[in-house]
Amino acid sequence: MRFRLVLVLSSIAIAAAPLAARQAPKGAAPSQPAPAAAAVKPLAFAVDKLWPMPLPNHWVYGSITGLAIDSRDHVFVATRPGSVAAGNEAGLMSNPPTAEYCCLAAPPILEFDAAGKLVASWGEPSKDKAYDWPVSTGGIAVDDKGNIWITAAGVPEPAAAAAGATGVVPGAARAGGAAAPAAAAAGRGRGETVIPGAEGAPVAPAGRGNAGPPAPADAHILKFTRDGKFLMQIGKAGATGPRDSKTTLDKPADVFIDNAASELYVADGGANQRVVVFDATTGAFKRQWTGHGGEFQRISSITVSKDGLVYVGDRKGNRVQVFKKDGTFAKELEVAKGTTANGSVWDVGLSNDAKQSWLFVADGQNSTVRVFNRDTLAPAGTIGDGGRWPGRFYAVNNLAMDSKGNLFTGEGYEGKRVQKFVKK
Amino acid sequence: MLKKLSLAIFAAAFVVLTVPTTGAQSDLVMAPKFEVDPDFPKELPKHWVTGMSVGVAVDEQDHVWMVHRPPTISPNERGADQEPPTGECCMSAPPVMEFDQTGTLLRRWGGQVAGAPYEWPLSNHGLWIDKKGIVWIGANHNQDSHILKFTKDGKFLAQYGKAGAATNSNDPVNFGSPAKIMIDDTRNEAYIADGYRNKRVVVIDTETGARKRAWGAYGNVPDDASLGRYVPGEKPTQQFRGPVHCAMLSADDLVYVCDRQSNRVQVFTREGKFVSEMIIAPKTGGDGSIWDIAFSKDPAQKWMFIADGKNERVYIVDRKKMEMVSSFGDGGRQPGQWFGAHSIAIDSKGNLYTVETYEGRRLQKFVYKGEQMVPRWQGVPWPVKK
Repeated sequence: MRFRLVLVLSSIAIAAAPLAARQAPKGAAPSQPAPAAAAVKPLAFAVDKLWPMPLPNHWVYGSITGLAIDSRDHVFVATRPGSVAAGNEAGLMSNPPTAEYCCLAAPPILEFDAAGKLVASWGEPSKDKAYDWPVSTGGIAVDDKGNIWITAAGVPEPAAAAAGATGVVPGAARAGGAAAPAAAAAGRGRGETVIPGAEGAPVAPAGRGNAGPPAPADAHILKFTRDGKFLMQIGKAGATGPRDSKTTLDKPADVFIDNAASELYVADGGANQRVVVFDATTGAFKRQWTGHGGEFQRISSITVSKDGLVYVGDRKGNRVQVFKKDGTFAKELEVAKGTTANGSVWDVGLSNDAKQSWLFVADGQNSTVRVFNRDTLAPAGTIGDGGRWPGRFYAVNNLAMDSKGNLFTGEGYEGKRVQKFVKK
Repeated sequence: MLKKLSLAIFAAAFVVLTVPTTGAQSDLVMAPKFEVDPDFPKELPKHWVTGMSVGVAVDEQDHVWMVHRPPTISPNERGADQEPPTGECCMSAPPVMEFDQTGTLLRRWGGQVAGAPYEWPLSNHGLWIDKKGIVWIGANHNQDSHILKFTKDGKFLAQYGKAGAATNSNDPVNFGSPAKIMIDDTRNEAYIADGYRNKRVVVIDTETGARKRAWGAYGNVPDDASLGRYVPGEKPTQQFRGPVHCAMLSADDLVYVCDRQSNRVQVFTREGKFVSEMIIAPKTGGDGSIWDIAFSKDPAQKWMFIADGKNERVYIVDRKKMEMVSSFGDGGRQPGQWFGAHSIAIDSKGNLYTVETYEGRRLQKFVYKGEQMVPRWQGVPWPVKK
C-alpha cells in the first residue's frame, strides 16, 4: 500500500518515546516488554510541526482515512468531509451560512507536494454515473503509474460499548460554547464506530447521490488517475455477496498494490473479513483467505513486503497476521493485547530500507505508533502519545513513509490531522 | 440532496476564493503582528489529554494558566482511566494547569474533592489570576450558580453563590452560569460576565463576595427573557442575548462586554453607563463572533484583541476608534489554527495565548512581533520555517 521504499536504514530504535517510558496507568493493559538492549543504532523521528502548510480556502480536514505516497514523494490524503460538523466547525457550509470567514470541509482527496503545499484536490460523485463515489473513503494507495486506488469503506458502524460517548455533562450544552459535542466522535476512518446519527449528520458533501433514498452502502474499490479521472471500479455500491464472492466486496478497509505482480490486495471488511486478491489490470478475482485460527475481528489494513509476506492488521483482534502471498499463514504479532474498545491495530506499514527491517503499527486506541523488528516481531519502541498538540495523536489511523524514510500519520475521530515525522 | 449540498459547498468555496481577504499591497495597515510558537507548551506527562479548554489567564509572573473540562473527553480518548481500562492511553489532565514561559507544566489541580467545602463546577468556564495570586474560576453548567477562589496551589479560599441556586439576573447572591471573571485589583472589585443563564454584568467585592452593582445591555436593568436566535440585520436587542462571555475593565476604566451571540461588544463606564458598541462579523449565527477580549500591553491599551471561536479568528481592533484594523488565524487543527478559539489572554511582553473549546482543546502561544505593516487578514501566523 503506502510504503514507498528505497532508502536504506541500517537500523532503527525510536527515540521519540521509548516504551519503557510509557508507564502503564492503573490497571491498564500491560505494556510490551522494553526492547532488548541489542546493538540497534537509534533512529529518531522528530515531528515537523509546520507540515503540511495550512489549507487554502478556509478548508478544514475531515477524519483522515488513508495516506499514500507516490514516487515523487507527493502525499495523497483520503479524508471524510462528511465528518466535519457544519454546525460549529464549518459555518460556511450551513444553509444559510452561520459564519462569515470560516470554515468549509476540504474535498475528500488531497495531494501535497513534499514541501507540504496542497497541489491538487478532488473527489465527487460521477456526473454520468460511471462510478459510485464512496459514502466514505477508506484506504488509499498509489501504484507505480501514479494512479490512485481508493476503498469505499462505508460510514462507520454504530458504536460499540464505551466507544463514541462524548462524556458531556447534561445541561452544559446551552449556547454552544459549553459542551455541544461537536459531533465528537463522528468521523473516523476505516470501519470505526461512531455515535449513531452523529456521522456527518449536518452535511455529507462527499456523499453520493441526490435527494431521495439513502445512498447504497459502500462495497467497492475505485481507481483514478492522480488528478481524479475515473479509470476502474471493482465491486458495486450496495451489492454485497457471500464471503467468497469473486465480484463483490463489503466496505473494504484498505488496499495494497503489488506492482511487480500487478495484483491488488484488499482488506475486505463488513461481513466479509477476508483478504482478497484481484488482478490489478483486469480487476479479476484471483484468490482469498480469512483469518488464521479465528476470524479477523475487524480487518483494518494490509501491506505486502518486498520479500513476499502479507501483513494484515486486525484492529479489534489486537494482532497483525502474516501470510505468504498465497495465503499460507506464517506468523502472528499480538499488539497491546489488553486493549478493548476499538482495538490496537489500525494500520500496518513497513520501513523503506532494503530489508524492510521494521514493522509499524498505528494504534489509534492507545494513541501511539508502535515499532517492531519485522524479523523477530520484538517491540522496538513507540512514537507519540495522546493529545491535540503537534506530535501527539488522537486516533492515529494511517501510516505512510516517503523515499527519505520520513513517517507520515493520519488521524481519525476528531484528530483530523496529517503529521510528518522527520527521520533523524 | 447530497450532490446539491456538495455543489453548494464548492460554490461557497469559490465565493470565499474571490474575496480579497489577503489584501492588496495598498491595503496594508499598521497593526500588531504575531507568530504562533508551535513548541509551546511542552508535552504533557502521564498520557494526559485535555478536554474542551475554556479559560486562559496570565499571572504576574507571566505564568500561563488554563482550565479545561475533563468530562468532555470521550471514553474513546481516555481509555486508560475507564473502569476497566480499554487501553494504555490516555487519561484526563487535571482541570487547572500552570505553565511557565518555557511552556513547562508546573502546578496542576482541580476537581471535586470528597468532603471539600466547595462545589466544583459541573462545567468549568473562565479563569483569572488577580495580583494577589488568587485563582478565580467560573462555570457554565446550568446548575453552576457560583464562582470559586483558590490559591495558586489549589487551596480553597471562597465560594460565592451556591450551586443550583440561580434565580435570575437580579439575584443578589447567586450567579447564572458565570462565564468569566476579571479583577480590578486597585478597587478590589470583580467583574463577572454572568453568563450563560443570566444576562448581565455583575460587580462584586473581591473580599466579601457582596454584590455591588449589575447591569444589562445598554445599562438597562437586566432581563432574562429569551431573545431567540440572532438574525442578521436585526434591530439591536435591548438586553444581552448572551452568553455574556466576558467583561473586561480597561486601563481607562471602561468595561468591555462580550455579547457573544449578538456579535457585539458593548462598552460601559465602571458604573454601568452605556458608552458605545461595536458589531463584528454581523452575519455570524450559531455561537456568535465575540468570545473573549484581551487588551494590548502598552499603557494606553491601544489595541483590543477579540477571539472569535466561530469564524476562528482573532480580531485586532483599535480600541479608541472601535475599528477593526486587521485579524489573524483560521480554522484547523494545526499550529496557529483553531477549532473553537474560546479564550484569550496576554502576557507582560504582549504575547497572546488562546485556548480552544470543542475539538481544538489546546493552549497556544502567539509571539508578539511588534507593530508592522500587515494585511487586513494576516492568515495563519506561522513563523518562517527553518
